[in-house]
Amino acid sequence: MTEEAEKGKNLVVMVSDSTSTSKIQPFQEKFPEKVVNVGIAEQNLIGAAAGMALGGMIPITANAAPFLIGRSNEQVKNDICYSNTNVKLVGLNPGFAYGPLGPTHHCIDDISVMRGFGNITIFTPQDPREVRALFHYLLSHEGPAYIRLDSFSCENLPGTSENFKPGALTFHRGGSGDDCDLAIICLGTASHAGLAAAERLASEGINAAVVGISSIRPIDRGALSAVIASCGRVLTVEEHSAHGGIGSLAAEVIAENGLSAILKRLAIPEGQFAPASPVPAIQKAYQLDSEGIVAATHTFLRQTRKDD
Amino acid sequence: MKNKYRLSHSEIAIKARSIRKKIIEMNAHAGAGHTGTDLSEVDILATLYFHILNVDNERPDDPDRDRFILSKGHGAGGYYCTLAEAGFIEEELLQTYLQADSKLPGHPVRQKTTGVELNTGALGHGLPVGVGLALAAKKQNKSWKSYVLLGDGELGEGSNWEAAMAASHYKLDNLTAIIDRNTLQLADRTEKIMGLEPLADKWKAFGFEVHQTDGNDPQSLLECFASLEAGNNRPKLIIARTTKGKGISFIEDKASWHHRIPVGNEVFAAIKELE
Repeated sequence: MTEEAEKGKNLVVMVSDSTSTSKIQPFQEKFPEKVVNVGIAEQNLIGAAAGMALGGMIPITANAAPFLIGRSNEQVKNDICYSNTNVKLVGLNPGFAYGPLGPTHHCIDDISVMRGFGNITIFTPQDPREVRALFHYLLSHEGPAYIRLDSFSCENLPGTSENFKPGALTFHRGGSGDDCDLAIICLGTASHAGLAAAERLASEGINAAVVGISSIRPIDRGALSAVIASCGRVLTVEEHSAHGGIGSLAAEVIAENGLSAILKRLAIPEGQFAPASPVPAIQKAYQLDSEGIVAATHTFLRQTRKDD
Repeated sequence: MKNKYRLSHSEIAIKARSIRKKIIEMNAHAGAGHTGTDLSEVDILATLYFHILNVDNERPDDPDRDRFILSKGHGAGGYYCTLAEAGFIEEELLQTYLQADSKLPGHPVRQKTTGVELNTGALGHGLPVGVGLALAAKKQNKSWKSYVLLGDGELGEGSNWEAAMAASHYKLDNLTAIIDRNTLQLADRTEKIMGLEPLADKWKAFGFEVHQTDGNDPQSLLECFASLEAGNNRPKLIIARTTKGKGISFIEDKASWHHRIPVGNEVFAAIKELE
């Protein structure tokens, strides 16, 4: 944000009392007039963001994903998507990042909700490099966008790029045409656990392709279809409901293309909330950490033993 | 940029009459519409478009134009007829109201209709967006103003009150909200369903500079707009007392005319009253 503001971009960061959530203090110190804090009023946050965009600025809103998706749902739908205002909506601490604070603070439906709205692109960057690349891209391209953004520190993954390409899949390991036992498809930062699991599986002689998804809409369905078709088994990994996220997306691709493939979704089961528990405990319970992905793969391969 | 018409109140009244005729004909032709609500807002819209708003139908996207948001988006019919009267859209388009692929859908759509700023229809959205517009103008040192027309039943939506707090907190004296206070909502009178009174007191408590006026009288409206204080750090609120269905005797002040349109002889009778 600081770089773009220094370049003269007419942007404004908007929060709903979420200054510490969004970690914008350094930006705020440099550009206090470019930060608007509307207080605990999410509907007004998004409405005002639409207004500021219509008034000629580029608003980036930043608040916790559960409150963005839940509380200001209709403003996102009508004032941003339907009215086509140039606002970048950042959903912070998605999934069950708030752990023991419980489901009021969890957001396991942001992807399914945003997929249900028209006229908005949906991005789920996997590492700091992609976050940077994505925001530089967004600030030079008009149109509503939703960005699922985690707050924890993580390393840059080897497969991500400094030039964000909307729609592109990230092939962390293997790809289509390879002789793979399964494809592990990961939502955003889940790619870290997915890649770690694949490396462990490789040492056991199991060859897993690892695909990271940082662009949900647009998305290269052809490339997704190709990697699924070549592996025949798909394991999706997401800190999200099993409904409406990348597991559902994979199912759609398999069914619509008549692919010979079987799918297992690692996610919070449909119809359930994640529990109020520390994040590692939730990940362990739903096999979303690398050990869990390895274990789930073993079961998956056993259940779907091929005659080859 | 200045309003190119700046009509007198009696000239505005003539435009309002013409807009009312368009509404009756358009809704009858379409076979649907919100006739009662279209008619109550006409004088407010005519005063805005023919005197107050610094807009130009020949430069509808000028970045320095005043902004107007019809937050009561179901009043789209009255709005389209006003836009046609003011030259923002072709009169012929009014015959396409509500039809397939029309540029005039049932609620305003900025991508389809010249002059529309926001896709309203769901209530409670206009004022927060107005706050954003007014704040953007302040931050960019622009002098254009923002106007939002609200329904009174619409004030039940809490988002309006979030925006009201913000408008006052940000000292948005370049923002004017107008309430079409016809005291009727879909099912019945507002005060029976969810009482709004004391309405003026509420807005004063939120920090607005509050005015009340006869919302169906262009002269009162013009005087009211002229009395708004510039540069006093307070957003403006005009309670425009109106009659739903104003202008046609058998439509006036009846909740049932929220969704109704004139049919058969009612059309002739209505046009006759407007002549």
